[in-house]
This record gives sequence, structure tokens and C-alpha cells, in this order.
Amino acid sequence: MATGRRLFWLIPLLLLPVPIFLDQYRQYVANLILVYVPVGVGFNVVVGNLGQLAFSNVAFFGIGAYTSGILMLKLGLPWWLTVLPAGVMGGVAGAAASVPALRGVRLFYLAIMTLAFGELMRWVYIRWEPVTGGSFGMAVPEPSVLGWALNVESRKFYAFLVLVVVVIVLTDRLLRSRFGRAFVAIRGNEEAAAAMGIPTDRYILLGFAWGGFVVGIAGSMYAALVGHLSPASFDLTELILQFAIIMVGGLGSLVGSVLGAALLTAAPEFFRDLPGFEELLFALLIIVVILFLPRGLASLLARAHPVFDDRYFRE
Amino acid sequence: MPALLELSDVSVRFGGLVAVDGVSFEVAAGEICALIGPNGAGKSTLFNAVAGNVAVGAGRVLFRGDPIQDLTPHEIAARGVRRTFQNGGLFGHLTALENVLVGLHTQVDSGFFGLLAGTPASRGTEAAATRRARDLLALMEIGHTADHLAAELSGGQQRMVEIVRALATDPPLLLLDEPAVGLAPPMREKLGDIIRRLASERGIGIVLIEHAIELVMSVSDRVVVLNYGRKVADGTPAEVRADKKVLEAYLGHV
Repeated sequence: MATGRRLFWLIPLLLLPVPIFLDQYRQYVANLILVYVPVGVGFNVVVGNLGQLAFSNVAFFGIGAYTSGILMLKLGLPWWLTVLPAGVMGGVAGAAASVPALRGVRLFYLAIMTLAFGELMRWVYIRWEPVTGGSFGMAVPEPSVLGWALNVESRKFYAFLVLVVVVIVLTDRLLRSRFGRAFVAIRGNEEAAAAMGIPTDRYILLGFAWGGFVVGIAGSMYAALVGHLSPASFDLTELILQFAIIMVGGLGSLVGSVLGAALLTAAPEFFRDLPGFEELLFALLIIVVILFLPRGLASLLARAHPVFDDRYFRE
Repeated sequence: MPALLELSDVSVRFGGLVAVDGVSFEVAAGEICALIGPNGAGKSTLFNAVAGNVAVGAGRVLFRGDPIQDLTPHEIAARGVRRTFQNGGLFGHLTALENVLVGLHTQVDSGFFGLLAGTPASRGTEAAATRRARDLLALMEIGHTADHLAAELSGGQQRMVEIVRALATDPPLLLLDEPAVGLAPPMREKLGDIIRRLASERGIGIVLIEHAIELVMSVSDRVVVLNYGRKVADGTPAEVRADKKVLEAYLGHV
């Protein structure tokens, strides 16, 4: 099993030559997929592993994006130095978003309260105009890594690939440890988890903070990719897309987060040739996957080979 | 030396209702103490009060001489008071092995950053915990269930996994909430043997809530009888069996 998992390292290696085959636009779509992988990974830790129906993910995403944008624009920091601060700010936002859950708010009540957090952040982006550029948004300076300008899409691809691998490896280690077991124990039965000596509050806080950290990094990548941030990018439609990623991919599965991000980010591009039907086809795709694969795309792979069965909590 | 568990004048109130009313008793290491009484007598509430799941209104709960009545459930569990649940507290969507690993939580002390860095020490800690969890299941003769989902095991196997999980950290005190419910008679006997051995061979103090009266009478050193939240009898099984107040508690005034 452990040796089989080592083969996962082949995936980023096989992706290295990808930019050779892609034009600028397709490369942009590939980069967008890499942005949405950590979006799904972080969201999935909170919803899939920790089992908390919290919809504050877009807030973490926006906070990460604006943190990078502001540090680059106002302080002149190069992009690569803003990635970690974006993650940390996302993590702090995650910790803040866990407060209702720590007060015992659950399920639909938690969903609506955390949803409000996302909308509140949108109000901040609009109102804090001197810093965020208000409704018109802000132009993000050209990103760079150690003086190496990410001025073509293929360079962003490599920078993002490194970040995505780091995020997945770290999250995988976390989820396969006593921390990850505590998360799924809380999801399964909080009372029983506490009876095992697990301080459930601390782990709920940690799960939210880790989710926020990872999604904050995704936000930083998003700022580097699109070069322009506006409040409209962080609205409810965005939240629904992010939620669809983990539902279609598979709750509580890292493999699922990757597959969901890839399919739902790439699909609209395939449908672009059929103008007028894009939204319809996109909606049908989600319905069909959920209908026939209620445990997500990850369950297909898990059935094919146990090495892909990466979740502790199997529905 | 203080008793393993000492309840002194413990009361629990839910609004105007007094669920447990001034109950006192002690449990020594290696002693099996059964808690019996009609439905609604306050047995489960008293259990929850000891485990920290309901607030103790008055009185004290001492574990090895230290007051624990104001601690949270996870703090009490970390000190070595472990419990099983009446309606099955297993994580059904985790395997038997993973359930036991969760039970070992407080002993798997891999640090957060060491884990993220993938240090050999943190890997070693995790691997050792997994080995120990497998050994514990094998010791109770349910090693073959290790990689099966808990929800897919038979009722008897589930009960055993839950006991293994509660015992994983070698706790000095075990609270068993109706462990025999739903078990066939031969399985009940086996359970009785296991409970006796845990107390006599490992010196674990056991508090047992149980309606299966033959099991209670055959394994217990002491029986505490509750009725309407009050202790009405406390003695050996034979003494309690002969006590008129116990009959009254179950049958009403005769």
C-alpha cells in the first residue's frame, strides 16, 4: 500500500511536459485547474473530514487573493513572498469562521451563518476602497518567483504545480495522522470522540484553520493567475461552484478534490463551442455525476484500485 | 490511599427534575460495581455525570482522590476514565482498526509540525500505534475484523471492538453502559468472562449499568441500586437480592 502510494509522485512528473502541448488559452485553463485543486482540498477538510456544513470557503479564497494583491500592490512585495501570508490570513479567517461551530452551531444553522461570513467579506472588498479598489477591483502586479517573472502562462503552471504538490502532501500527512482521525471521529460522533480524550473544540478549530490556510494559498494563486481582483469573483455563484467541486469529486477524499477541480474547471471550456448550452450542460454534468456516483468521482477510482481509496470516513 | 472512584453526595438536576439525588459510593481498583434500577432511576445520568457529559449540580466526583466533576469529557477520558455507550458509540464508517486508533488518540503524541515535515519520529509513532491497535484486537480474538467497517460487523463484534477501543490506553476505570443489550446468551457469558478477567487480571475498576440481571449477579462484587435518583441499596449481589427495598423499587410497594 505504502509503495503503491509512492507512485503518486509520478503524477506531477508526468505533468511537467504538459505546457509543450497547450496554447496560451488552454494553459490558462490548466492553471485554473491547479488553483481549484487547493480550493477543493481545503473545503473538503472542513466539510468532508470534519463534517461541518460550513460555507465560508469563498471568504477564505477572497481573503487569500486580496492579501496577495494588497501586499504586492501596496508594499511592492514579489508574489512568491505573499503566498504564505495569504495562507496565514486564510487560516486566521478559518479559525474565525469556526467560532459558530465551537459555540455548538451545526448543520443548516452553521451553513447560513458561515454563508453570511462570505457575504460580509464581499462588503469589505467593496467598502474598503482605498485598499481593495472597491467594486472596480484592483490590478495585481506581475507575479514573480525569486526574480523570475511569471509573465507567460507556462511559468505560472510550474509555480502552481509546486504549491499544489506541497499542499496535497501536507494535507495527506495531516489526514492520515491522529489529527485526521480526530476530524473524522468528530464527524462520526462528537460525544464518542470526546470520550476518547479528543478535545473536539481544538480539532474543529484546527480543521477550519487548516482548510482556510490551504484555500488562502489557492486565493494567492488566483490573484497571480487572473491579475485582477474584483468583489464579483467571490460571490454565491463562486461558492456553488466550489461546493460542486467537492460533491462531484467525493467528500473527504483528496483524490476527489483533485478530480472535482479538474472536471468542473475544464468542463465549461469544452462546452464553450456550444454557445447557449454551456450552463445547461454544466448543470446536467453535476446532476449526472451525483446521481450515478453519489460518493463522487473518487469512488470510481477507489473501486478500480484500493490505493486510490484515501478516505478514512467512507459513506 | 484514596478510592479509584468516589462519588460523594452527587446530585444532577434538569430544570426542576432531580435526576440524581445525593448519591454516594466508591469503586476500588479491580472491583466490579453494577449500577441497577428501574428505567428512569438515574443510572445513565449518573454515568454521564462521572464522564462529564452532564453537569454535576452538587456533590463531588473524585477520581484517584482528585475532583473531576468540573472537567470536560475529553479531560476526564484523558485522565483514564473510559466508557462505552448504550446505543453503540462506534464510528460506523471507520474500520475496527481505525476505531481503536481513535481510542489510542491520547497516546499517539506525534506533534503537528513533525507530522507535516514527515519526520521519522512522527512516522514511527503512527506505525507503533497501528501495531498496538492490531495487537489489541487480536488479544480479544477479533483480529480478523481489523480492516472491516465497524457498521458491517455483527452486534457481538461491535460490542467487543467498542470495549477494545475503550481499553486501548489501559485506563484504570471503565464505565460500561448496558454492554449486553442485543447479545445472545452465549455471547453474554463470554462478555461476563471478559469483564471478570479485566478486573481480576488487570486490576481495572469497572462500573456496569446492566438490565441483564443474571449477568449482573454473576460478575459483580458490588451492586448499587438506584430508584428515583436515590441510592436505595448497596451491597454484595446476595445482600441486594435479599433487600426488601430493592423488590419495592422494581415492583412497587408490596
